[in-house]
Amino acid sequence: MNCKLCSALFQEYLENTLSEDLINELNNHMNHCERCGIFFRTYSLTVTLSRQVETPSCVSTEKIQRLTALLCERLLSK
Amino acid sequence: MSNTKDKLSDAALVIRIKDDDSKALEEIVKRYSNKVYNLAFHLTRDASAAEEIMQEVFLTVIAKIATLTNEAYFATWLYRVTTNAAYGFLRKEKKFSDQPSVDDMNQDQSPTYDWSTLPDDILLSEESSSVLRESIDSLPETMRTIVIMKDVDGFKNEEIAQSLGLSVPAVKSRLHRGRLILRRTLSDYFRKYSDASGEDV
Repeated sequence: MNCKLCSALFQEYLENTLSEDLINELNNHMNHCERCGIFFRTYSLTVTLSRQVETPSCVSTEKIQRLTALLCERLLSK
Repeated sequence: MSNTKDKLSDAALVIRIKDDDSKALEEIVKRYSNKVYNLAFHLTRDASAAEEIMQEVFLTVIAKIATLTNEAYFATWLYRVTTNAAYGFLRKEKKFSDQPSVDDMNQDQSPTYDWSTLPDDILLSEESSSVLRESIDSLPETMRTIVIMKDVDGFKNEEIAQSLGLSVPAVKSRLHRGRLILRRTLSDYFRKYSDASGEDV
């Protein structure tokens, strides 16, 4: 395992799609390569922070009802 | 009746909508309105535009549902309609800024500062969120959409690929490059918290 291959596998690692052997190789490399270890931790944290950058919103029930009424009217008038 | 509709698959509901079943349409709106709204809002950063887009998207569903030949692909078709409507809004409002070149960002060779050990109050501050949000907004159009769909809204790679008409490897490649750009931005921002002993590796 070299640094280039290690960073190329970050995405698959986060998606849990790597074989156990590759995970072990990756972990082993990162335990010995400080740069890759830091790179993985900050890459992974970037993904985590992106998930929290926006709070999911809900459309109000009233708006959904208005939209549904409009859509049903359009559907039936086709 | 309502329980029956709740249990129907999207494909079954779509077939019923094609036969002008308004109850099936109601169920589809119930299932997807928040997802469509959130995607539109995250792409446009404009709540009222997101509401308009949501309405436009479901009107398109009614108008074009007959053209959807494989009902099982309804959700990805819906997301494609949503992203297209959001792009249309952004183009009309000229909200696409000049994009940075991605070529020089393929390989992040910058010195690495381990900001992952910073306390949560710094990592999760409003300022750092704002830096990250601005960085997402400045990504090239398709890359930005992929990052938002995957990392902000939690779509699967396959859903994103089908929605955007790309292959899964193309989605993954752009996602990885987008994340590298965001990581670089955050590294630059958090560097001000590095101690005097020098944390660069």
